[in-house]
Amino acid sequence: MRRMPAARKQGITTAQIILVIGAMVIAVALLIMLNSSRLRRATGGTLSYPTGVTQEGAPYKGSPDAPLKMELYSDFLCGHCADFANVLEAISADYIGKGKLQVIFHNFAFLAPESVQAAQASLCALEQGPAYFWQYHDLLYASRGGGMAAYSTVRLKAYAQELGLDTDAFNRCLDSRAKAAQVQADLDAGRQAGVDGTPTWFLNGQKHVGAMSEGALRNLLDSLLPR
Amino acid sequence: MNGFAKRKAIPPALPVVAWRWWLMMLLTCAGIGVAGYLSYTHLFELPVICGNSQGCDLVAQSIYAKMFGVPVAVFGLLAYIALLVLLIARRRIGENLEAYVTLTVFGISLLGMLFSAYLTYLELFVILAVCTWCVASALIMVALFVLSVWEISLVNP
Repeated sequence: MRRMPAARKQGITTAQIILVIGAMVIAVALLIMLNSSRLRRATGGTLSYPTGVTQEGAPYKGSPDAPLKMELYSDFLCGHCADFANVLEAISADYIGKGKLQVIFHNFAFLAPESVQAAQASLCALEQGPAYFWQYHDLLYASRGGGMAAYSTVRLKAYAQELGLDTDAFNRCLDSRAKAAQVQADLDAGRQAGVDGTPTWFLNGQKHVGAMSEGALRNLLDSLLPR
Repeated sequence: MNGFAKRKAIPPALPVVAWRWWLMMLLTCAGIGVAGYLSYTHLFELPVICGNSQGCDLVAQSIYAKMFGVPVAVFGLLAYIALLVLLIARRRIGENLEAYVTLTVFGISLLGMLFSAYLTYLELFVILAVCTWCVASALIMVALFVLSVWEISLVNP
């Protein structure tokens, strides 16, 4: 505002217009660049912990040698499961990344057909690598707020594309319902293990039902860790 | 600083202010309404009224709806409020500053339009869901930009 009195004459020079256009274009370009690098981190990037698949075919994160083992039964449509997934993500640097906790994921798709569809999609992502499974898992929970439509076939495929999966293989897997039997088998196995709601998790064999706050989970894990 | 502000006579409206000014005011107020509604639903986590489609919630709940922790609708709201302030200021300001206000309105509407274009691209090609409110805001921004270009061409013959 200080400079203004210098410009006595009314009128805008072409140079000023070009300057404004340039500044705005650069501003938007910067915003987009910052945002897309932030989104890449949110929807993938490199995970800070080891991932893999158990002999039974369940995806896990964290070292298999970890003293604490969590068997987690989850439904992608379930809100408390999403909350709990966020809690696990929040503690992952301290527990999963440091080899103290291994989380083994089991689909327990019982809420709606969309749960089953999302569970199948997650296993199609797993087919391309366990790290992809966890990225896909995170993206599904991040998109859960959109309701049933968040797990429509079109969108499940879009998530895969977003994460840079091999879309041909993924779409084939999803369209052919190749994972339907496995999702059903996981559900049956969960029921056998005594699961009747989500999230249900077994921490070193001890059954817990429902989500837990980050603080409470940290306390629980610390109390079980060998001194 | 003198605590007692003197009431000065408001200078008369400048001749360049015409029906375009009123149209821009109207569009800006509409923009405040749209962006305000989206910000409100986002901050209070309410579902977005969206006709028969679920597009609005899909877009609003996607990870793209926030930037640096702030809902993008709030950015839009701030831009519209800035435009409203500038448009009102334009009628109250001396002739030597009017050109700068016009230039700033041009800059903000250009910024808004480019940013809306990016968000619309995300809706169409990444989120694969379209939110009518967001499209409305994008169209309002385009209209404001076109009008501001017109204004600039008049200030700078």
